[in-house]
Amino acid sequence: MEEYQYVVLKKELFNDFIVRLAGIKKLIAPIAKGYNNFAYEEVRSGEQIALKYIPTILPAKKYFMPRNETLLEFSTGKKSNVEAFIEYESLTLFGLHTCDIAGIQCLNMALSERPKDYNYLARKNFITIIGLECNEYCDEFASCHLVNASFPSGGYDLLFTDAGEYFIVHINTESGEEIVNITEIFNKAESLHLNELTKIRENKRKVFSNEVPIERRHIPELFDRSFRSNVWKEIGERCLSCGNCTNVCPTCYCFDIRDELELDMKHGRRYRVWDSCQLEPFAKVAGGFNFRKERFVRQRHRYYRKFRYPVDKFSRFFCTGCGRCTRTCMANISLKETLNQLVKESEDRVWKRWL
Amino acid sequence: MEKMALKYSSYKSEKAEIVDIKKLTENEKLFRVVLKNKGRLDHEPGQFVMVSLYGIGEIPISVCSSPMISDYFELCVRAVGKVTRSMHKLKKGDEVGIRGPYGRGFPVRILEGNDLLVIAGGLGLAPLRSLITYVLDNRRDFGKVHLLFGCKEPKDMLFSDELEQWNKRADIHYSCTVDRASPDWAGNVGVITTLIPGVDIEPSRTFAAVVGPPVMYNFVIKELIVKGVPERNILLSFERNMKCGNGKCGRCQIQNLYCCQDGPVFNYEQIKNLSEAI
Amino acid sequence: MKKPKIAFFDFACCEGCQLQVANMGEGVLDVLAAFDVVEWREVMSEKWDKKYDVAIIEGSITDNHAVKRIKKIRKKTDILLAYGSCATIGGVNGMKNNFELDDIRKYVYGESYKFFPTEITKAVHQVVKVDYFVNGCPVYIPEFVTVLKAVLQGIPYYVPDYAVCVECKLNENVCMYAKGITCLGPLTRAGCNSWCINNGNICYGCRGMVSNPNEKSAQDILAKYNIPIELIMNKMNMYNKCREIV
Repeated sequence: MEEYQYVVLKKELFNDFIVRLAGIKKLIAPIAKGYNNFAYEEVRSGEQIALKYIPTILPAKKYFMPRNETLLEFSTGKKSNVEAFIEYESLTLFGLHTCDIAGIQCLNMALSERPKDYNYLARKNFITIIGLECNEYCDEFASCHLVNASFPSGGYDLLFTDAGEYFIVHINTESGEEIVNITEIFNKAESLHLNELTKIRENKRKVFSNEVPIERRHIPELFDRSFRSNVWKEIGERCLSCGNCTNVCPTCYCFDIRDELELDMKHGRRYRVWDSCQLEPFAKVAGGFNFRKERFVRQRHRYYRKFRYPVDKFSRFFCTGCGRCTRTCMANISLKETLNQLVKESEDRVWKRWL
Repeated sequence: MEKMALKYSSYKSEKAEIVDIKKLTENEKLFRVVLKNKGRLDHEPGQFVMVSLYGIGEIPISVCSSPMISDYFELCVRAVGKVTRSMHKLKKGDEVGIRGPYGRGFPVRILEGNDLLVIAGGLGLAPLRSLITYVLDNRRDFGKVHLLFGCKEPKDMLFSDELEQWNKRADIHYSCTVDRASPDWAGNVGVITTLIPGVDIEPSRTFAAVVGPPVMYNFVIKELIVKGVPERNILLSFERNMKCGNGKCGRCQIQNLYCCQDGPVFNYEQIKNLSEAI
Repeated sequence: MKKPKIAFFDFACCEGCQLQVANMGEGVLDVLAAFDVVEWREVMSEKWDKKYDVAIIEGSITDNHAVKRIKKIRKKTDILLAYGSCATIGGVNGMKNNFELDDIRKYVYGESYKFFPTEITKAVHQVVKVDYFVNGCPVYIPEFVTVLKAVLQGIPYYVPDYAVCVECKLNENVCMYAKGITCLGPLTRAGCNSWCINNGNICYGCRGMVSNPNEKSAQDILAKYNIPIELIMNKMNMYNKCREIV
């Protein structure tokens, strides 16, 4: 920890800071929607922001990969023409928890893999990210420690840590530093602040622990052993295939591409929309054959896309432990519970071998 | 919301013109396509392109002509979905968008010096036609070449002129079968697997290239293994729903593999333990 | 290109769908520019008894006159588009099928009920072939326009076969069940952009049920929320009674 990388914001100046920040460019932050639901929306003042919030209904991916995004505009007929566009907005996102920052890191990886997704890559450069560290669990559905997302690890321009009377702010990038300079509201961090930060982190280490009784490095093996597990069948029986778990997931990026013509039949656009591997037609081919027809196969696919397949490709899990899939599931399919069952089943198998 | 033109886009296609259309069967048409920028598609046998009908949609279609032909390429299209049905309404001179080629095709360099057993079921002949014509264009580089073709009824037979020509050639062994014969049919009747035992090959130095409807693969693979063809030498091409071709949209995923990038051609060893493959 | 001739017809319904179309604002001008409207009772007085390219049908089929009339329309049109819940799934008219037909006739017409023959309520496709469906009560105009474009292009339109929840979640609505209110979104076909829930209302199931619902799991969920199945079935039957006709 180097002092020059940190500044301090007194809590009584928080509202002023937000007002100034909103003056730089459009500012997005978590707001309360009632019934313990939150959403990222535009804010102009500090009072609008829910500083204590459980993960929002949709993650911040809605700004990086809008749910309805124009890829091409075209005109048909003799003077046919096609142009590739991105639609973008210059934004500051304030208040992202480390799980949501991890989600964006996952998207960055997946979409910069060749062939690159230039739409995503161009848009992300217009977005500034200000994180807000969690000093304790948001609720019992989170499993951020299991997937190594409970502590900050890059992915932001500034990171706010609540230290009671003030925020300690880590400056991670030049654009973060620019915000500090333009807003002229931060104080230099001194060693007592950094000591406080160290204390907060030490305390966090006591609060956060593996939410599922398995070591992180053993998760890929667990999944290697569990492909034919009965746990999937059981989940499949409960799943409604509503697609909520994937729509709210910060690392799900599957999409559909569609065309739309104006009524004049001359001009149109090609756009992409979020799609879900949980919906029945997703893996169906034109001839009618469906490669993931059964619900349990689709649910299993979702879990393997979080905990097994990305490990080989990106050396990380594509689960950020935010708990959204569990909170949103009407059928109570719980990510933590599923992992618990897999662990237990796997242990039972090991015991059987010994006995 | 602001708008910015994108110089590079993974979704923009090249303008292309349909220069010829040939009706192959009641449901299939052959489109000859030329890129308007006079560029060469430069594909490998087994690769596919994304074909755009702006305003209707975009779909993957495997290239069915030999890579040795540089000034055009051909696509065999069955009218089955929204885009393919609309494509069947197109006329000579109409424009489509083409991006690609995508995916891994048949590894022709590796096939050289080996015998080839090409097994095509129905529309599976389309991507294999690209391989067969490539092999015939470079016939000296390969050992024996066998082609087994099966379809539902004689009237469903694709590329019948070419099949007849190949049948006459001494350097390719061709046999075919139909599931249901018509009164004027004098050939084999039965599923394609019945043709495999009779093929005269040296299995250890044979590569089999198999493309057909999903139901066909398991039966054919079983026969090939009985025959003694090594698992690595059994090459399969898969049909999947695809939206992007870039390994992103997720539709064509077979467990950890993306059909559009890692395939569509896989060897059996690669996929035999993947439950969603065949 | 010659503009296709289009005619609007209504059967047993409240005519609210054609009102939606008439009220779509400036967009109606684009529709009028693309089509040649030859009959539309709520908007114009002209009638048309020749052939037309597209017939747009509102309302359900509830008696033998209607059966004859819809069959006649089918013969005179190339394309038949059913719109609104009444036409596509039977809609609220389907509630009639909960009762004996004679009881209904007595209740409505009293002593002279025998002079008024009736039939069970049917959706249009249960009587004649339908080429395009625009579900909803009333129709969701953006979807209606999308389908008109598909008609012009000669391509099919598929009503989404997944739950309203998909769109509702994308609109970041707080789930009605989280508020302690029952909602038919989890069983109802999407395509309306969760219009009702966006505006604070529940989903009434007006777009029909998804084709492959997980009924067992749905029952477990109802039990979890202490909701009697009869309540949901009654709610569902408000629009969906005709799905029982085979």
